[in-house]
Amino acid sequence: MPREIITIQAGQCGNQIGAKFWEQLCLEHGLSPDGTLREDLPVTTADRKDVFFYQSDDTRYIPRALLIDLEPRVISGILNSPYARMYNPENIYSGGDGSGAGNIWASGYHAGEKLTDELMDMLDREADGSDSLEGFMLMHSIAGGTGSGLGSFLLERLSDRFPKKVVQTYSVFPATQQVSEVVVQPYNSLLALKRLTQHADAVTVLDNAALSRLAADSLRVQSPSFDQTNQLVATVMSASTTTLRYPGYMHNDLVSILASLVPTPRCHYLMTAYTPFTADSVDAAKSVRKTTVLDVMRRLLQPKNRMVSTQQSADSCFISILNIIQGEADPTDVHKSLLRIRERGLASFIPWGPASIQVALTKKSPYLQSSNRVSGLMLANHTSIASLFKRILDQYDRLRKRNAFLEPYRKQPMFAEGLEEFDDAREVVADLIDEYRLAETAEYLS
Amino acid sequence: MAGQVAESGTTHRRAESREILSQTDRVNTATNQHTHTHSHRSRSLKSSIESSAEAKFSGERERITGRVTSMRHRSPTRTDRHSTQEKPTEKVILENEDPRLSNSGSPVGGSLNTSSKTIWNPEVKLVESTLSSLASRMMAPPLSAHTAGFSKPSEISRLSVDAQHAVIMDDLLYVLVGTEGQYIRFHERYNPSLESERLAGPEFRLTKGLDASLRDITKTLLKMATYHLSVEAFVDQQSKRDYGVVNHALCAAMRTIIKEYLALVSSMEYRMLTDPSFTLNVFYLETMPMAKKLMELNYIIIKLSKKEVVQPDIIEDTSSDFDKIMETLRANDGNINALNSLGTKTTSVINKGGDVIKLLTDRLYSVSGDQSARELLTFLLREASRPYVRMLNLWLHRGVINDPFNEFLIKEQKAIRREKLDQDYTDEYWEKRYLIRKEALPSQIADDRTCEKILLAGKFLNVVRECGGVDVSSEAKDAPETIDDSRLLANVDAAYAHANSCLLKLLINTHELSARLTSLKHYFFLDQADFFTSFVEVASHELRKPAKFVSTSKLQSLLDLTLRQPGSITAVDPFKEDLTVQLNEVGLTEWLMRIVTVSGLDHTDSAAVRQLSFTPTEDRTNEKDNKKAYQGMQALQFDFKVPFPLSLVISRKTILRYQLLFRHLVALKHIEQLLGASWKDQAKSTGWTHKTTSKALRKYRARASNLRAKMLVFIQQVLYFSTTEVMEPNWVALMNSIDSIETVDSLMQRHVDFLDTCLKECMLTNAKLLKIMGKLMATCRMFSSYINSLSRTLQAVEAKVLENEEDESISKLQALLDQYEQNFDHHLKMLMDGLNYYAATETVVLLSLCARLEVCINI
Repeated sequence: MPREIITIQAGQCGNQIGAKFWEQLCLEHGLSPDGTLREDLPVTTADRKDVFFYQSDDTRYIPRALLIDLEPRVISGILNSPYARMYNPENIYSGGDGSGAGNIWASGYHAGEKLTDELMDMLDREADGSDSLEGFMLMHSIAGGTGSGLGSFLLERLSDRFPKKVVQTYSVFPATQQVSEVVVQPYNSLLALKRLTQHADAVTVLDNAALSRLAADSLRVQSPSFDQTNQLVATVMSASTTTLRYPGYMHNDLVSILASLVPTPRCHYLMTAYTPFTADSVDAAKSVRKTTVLDVMRRLLQPKNRMVSTQQSADSCFISILNIIQGEADPTDVHKSLLRIRERGLASFIPWGPASIQVALTKKSPYLQSSNRVSGLMLANHTSIASLFKRILDQYDRLRKRNAFLEPYRKQPMFAEGLEEFDDAREVVADLIDEYRLAETAEYLS
Repeated sequence: MAGQVAESGTTHRRAESREILSQTDRVNTATNQHTHTHSHRSRSLKSSIESSAEAKFSGERERITGRVTSMRHRSPTRTDRHSTQEKPTEKVILENEDPRLSNSGSPVGGSLNTSSKTIWNPEVKLVESTLSSLASRMMAPPLSAHTAGFSKPSEISRLSVDAQHAVIMDDLLYVLVGTEGQYIRFHERYNPSLESERLAGPEFRLTKGLDASLRDITKTLLKMATYHLSVEAFVDQQSKRDYGVVNHALCAAMRTIIKEYLALVSSMEYRMLTDPSFTLNVFYLETMPMAKKLMELNYIIIKLSKKEVVQPDIIEDTSSDFDKIMETLRANDGNINALNSLGTKTTSVINKGGDVIKLLTDRLYSVSGDQSARELLTFLLREASRPYVRMLNLWLHRGVINDPFNEFLIKEQKAIRREKLDQDYTDEYWEKRYLIRKEALPSQIADDRTCEKILLAGKFLNVVRECGGVDVSSEAKDAPETIDDSRLLANVDAAYAHANSCLLKLLINTHELSARLTSLKHYFFLDQADFFTSFVEVASHELRKPAKFVSTSKLQSLLDLTLRQPGSITAVDPFKEDLTVQLNEVGLTEWLMRIVTVSGLDHTDSAAVRQLSFTPTEDRTNEKDNKKAYQGMQALQFDFKVPFPLSLVISRKTILRYQLLFRHLVALKHIEQLLGASWKDQAKSTGWTHKTTSKALRKYRARASNLRAKMLVFIQQVLYFSTTEVMEPNWVALMNSIDSIETVDSLMQRHVDFLDTCLKECMLTNAKLLKIMGKLMATCRMFSSYINSLSRTLQAVEAKVLENEEDESISKLQALLDQYEQNFDHHLKMLMDGLNYYAATETVVLLSLCARLEVCINI
C-alpha cells in the first residue's frame, strides 16, 4: 500500500520530459523497456516500484502515467520507441489532427473542457487503481498551448475532484531572455501561472534558458538539443523522488518533503539544482573531479547550478532548502558541511521563519553504476523566483498595452465575453510577486 | 534385594576375623576388622602365638613359629575352623528404616556403651541405596574393657624388660592393624559406635607397670595406630554414596596408603619373628615416614570432617512441608539423593567436591616446604580431583553436567525451562539456569574470570545442543585429568573459545542473527518507513481512538495486511510473521520517566497537560477523563518474537529497548504526519486559501503557517537526528563489530550497548530532557489538531471581520496562537539550554542536534 503518485504529462514538452523520466525510472528500478524486470540484473528488494508503477496481469510494470497531447507528434514518437509497450494504451490521449492547441492557452484550455469526460475518466480509473493515492505530478511547459492551457484546465479539475490530494507540477518556464518563436508566450505563461498559484501545492520551476545553459556547460555543446535538456529534467525528477522510491528513515511521502519546503502555502514555487551531471545521467557530460558531501552541498548553492535563471537582488533569500544527498554520505560529513555553510554564510535565509538546510540521505539505485560517490539535489524555495514572474508580468504588460495577438484568445469561450481573465491572472501574479517580496522582510508576519 | 542379602552374608563372614590364641591363657579379644571390603586389603594375621606369659616369665624366649603371616584373606572355612566357643551368632537384619540412623549413633552402640559387660552380639544391617562397603554397616565390636569373659593377662610389671619388650611389640602389631592387644587396650572412653570418635581415632591405654623406656616409644608408635584407625574410619564413612565422587576418589587414594601401611606392618612382623636384633627402636625408625604420612592424613581427615556436624533433622519438620519436598524433588529431577538429604541435613555440611579439593590444595600450599607431605598431598589431590576434572571436562567440552552428588562447581536449575523464555523479561533462563557454586570452588579455578569462563563455555554448548541438536562437543584429546595439571587453564580457555565460536556460528550463520537484526531495524527503527506509513494510514481509524478502545486484533490483521502487501519491501522479509502489535497504555514519556527516575513522577505528565490545557479542546477531554487518555497511536508498539537461541542476544531486555526507541520514533512520525496534514489543510481548504482583504486575518494565517512550519522543522530535525545521526551510525558500527566479535557475551553486551547508546543519544534517558521533549511534542500535537479544525472557524471569523474591522474574534485567535507560540518557543529554549548543557557534560552528539535546532529559535 504505497503512497501512489499519478503522473500527468501534458503537451509536447511535458511528454518529452515524461518519456525521459520513465526511461530513467526504468533504469533505476532495473526494468526493461517493456516493463518487465530485467533478468540480467540481480533482484533487489530495497525499492518500491509501486509508487510510480503498478503490475499488470502479466507482471509487467506499468507506469501510473497519463499521456495527453493535442497533437500526435510527440506521443507517436513515444509509441515508436522501445518503451511503447510499457505504457497503458488506455492512458494515452493524443489529438488526431496535427494542429494541437496552436500555442494558444485558451484553445488548450477549451480542448480540455471538451475532453473533460474522457480525461476525468482516465484520472478516475488511475485513482481508483491505487490503494492510497498520495497525489499527482504534472509535467508541462507553461509557454505553449497544450501544456499550459490543458495543464491549467487539469489543475483546476484536479483540485476540484481530488481536494485532498497533493498536486505537484514540474513546470518548464520559457527562456525569457531570448526572443521566443511563440509570441503569445507571456499570455500563456500568465494564465497558467494563475492556476499554478491557486491549484498546485508545489511547483518545481524549470527554466529552458537555465537548462540550456546547464546542458551547454556540462556537455560543452553550443546549443544542446531538447533531448539533452530533458534528460537533465528527468535526472532531477528522479532524484527528487528517490526518497519515495527507495524509502529511508524519512521523507517517505510527498507531503513530508513538501511541507517543510513550503512553509506558507502561497510561496510554493521551488527551484532545483543538481550536481554533478555526469556521463551516467547525461550522455557525454564532463566528469567532475571530486565529490564530497561538502563539495556537493556547496555546488548546490551556487546559482549557476540552478535550473532556473533568476535575478537575485540583495534581499533575495532562501525560504527553505531540502538537500537530497544520494550515495555514501556520512552523517558527520553532512553535519560538518552544514556548519561550514552556515559559518561562511553561503546561504541567506528569510528573517522570519525557521531557516535551515534539511538533508535527506538516500541510497543510489543499485542498478546504476556511477563514477561519483555522492550526488546531490537541492530543492529550494527562494524568493528570487519572483523575478521570473516579474519578467513574465512585464512582458505581458508590454504585449497587453498594445493589445497584440489577442484575437486567437477571443475566439475561445473563456474570452468571448471579455478579457477579465487576463486582468484576474495579472492580479494573482502581482500578488504573488508581492508576497515573495514581503517574505524577504521581517515584516512578513506582522 | 536377595542378591544383596547373599552378598552381605559372605562379606560378613569374610570380614569377620577372629584371632585365636589357643595355647595360651591369653584369650584374644575377638576382633573385627569392621570396615573393609576391599580385596586388596592386606592384613597381618596372627593365628596363634606359642609363647605364653608363663614361658616368657620363666625366661624361655621361645618363639613359636606357628605364627603365620598371611597377606591374603582368610577363607571363611578357615575362620570357622579356628573359631572358638565364642563365635558369635550372626544375625542379618534387613533394615528398612532410614539408613543413616544405623550408621551413626545406633541404639545398639548405645546399649553397648551402657551395659558394662556384654558378650558381643554383632548385627549386620543392610542399607538400601548406597554403594558403600557392606562391611561398614556391621556394628563395631565391643571394647575388651566392656566385654566379659576375657581373662586378664598377667601383670606386665612382673616380666623382665626384655619380656616386656617382646610382649609389647607383639601387642603393638595387633594394635597397629586395629585390634586390641593384651596390654594395649582402647581407652574406656572410646566408643567405636560413634562415628565422630572413630574418625578422631581411638585413644589407647597402656597397662601400668611397663618399663618407662618402652612406654614412651610405644606411646609414640601408638599414635600411628590411632591415625590408622582414624583413616580407616574416614574411608568407611566417606565411601558412602552421599559423599560424592571426589570423596570416593580421595578414599581410594587413602586406601592405597593404608595398603602400604599394612604391608609395612606385616613386614615389621616378619622382622620381629625372624630378626632377633629387631627392637622397638628399629620398629619406630622404620615406620617413621609412614607415621608421618598417616599423621598428615589424620590432619586432613579432621579438617574435612570438622564441618560435618550431623544434625538429624526432625522428621515432622520436613514431611509437614510437603511443597518443599516436592520442590526439592523437582529441583533434583527425582534424584533419590534429594529424599535422603531430607532426613538429615548432613549433605549441606558435608565437605565434598570442590571443598575437598580446595582443602587439599590449601593444605598442599601450607606444607610445601615438607617434601614428603607435599608428595603425599600432591598424590591425594591428583587422585581426588580426577572425577572432578572429568566432570569439568564433560561440562567444558559437551555442556553436560553429570553430577549426581551436587559437588560440581556449576549448579543446574532444572526447574527453569526454556519455554519460559518468551515471557521472560529478566533473562532468567540465561542468568539463572546454571549457577556457580561460589562457596565450593577449588582454588585452582576460583578466580572470577576462570570460573566465569567455565560457566559460559558449558552454557554455550548447552544452548547449541538444545536448539537443533547439533553436536558441537569438542573431543578434547589432550584434556587434563587432574586438577594440578598445568594445562587446566589452557584447557578451559580452549573450551571457552570453542564453545564461543560454536554458539557464535550458530547464532550468526544458522540463525541469521544479522538478518534478524536488520528486520528489527526495519520494524522498530523504521529505516524503510514506507510500511509504517501505510499501516498508519489503513489503521488511522483505529489508532485515533483512545487506547483502551482500540482492538489489538484488528490492528494486528491490518498490520499483517500491510506487511504482506506485494511490492512492499517488507513482503519479502522472512521474519514478518514474528511481528505483533501491542498497545501500551502507559505513555512513552511517562514510561521513560518511570525508568529514569527512582521515585515515580506520575504527576509530571499531568502537570505538563495542565500547563497546556488552556486550549478548549484539551480542556474538554481533560475534564471528562482525569487520567490522560492516550490515543491508540501513542500507545502503539510492536513486539517481535524471537526464537530460542537468538533470544539470548535479542532478549526481552533488548526488545524493550527497541520498543522504547520505536515509540519515540512513532511519536515523532505521528506529529510529522499531523503537521503534514495541517500543511495540506492550509494549502487546500478555503478558510486558509481564500483571498481576504482583512490584513489581520492574512497576518494570522501567515503566523499560524509559520508556527506550523517551525514545529515541522523541529520535529523533522529531531527525527533526522535520531535516525540518521544516532541510530544509523551506531547500527553500522554494531554490524561491523558483529563480524569481528569473538565471544557471545561480548556480542550480547555489544547489542545492549548499542541500544543504550541509541536511547541515550535520542535523549530518552535524561529526565530533564525527556520532560521538555514531552512538553514540546505535546504542544506540537495539540497545535496541529487545533489548527486542523480551524478552517471553518477562519471562514466565520473572516465574515465577521469584514463586517466589523474591530471584531475581537480574530484577536482571540491571535491570543491563542501567541500562547502556543510562546509555549513552544519557551520549551524549545529550555531544550536548547538542556542540550547544550548535556552535550558539554554527557553526550557530545547532542551538540549536533543543538546546531540543527538553532534555526528554529529566536525568530
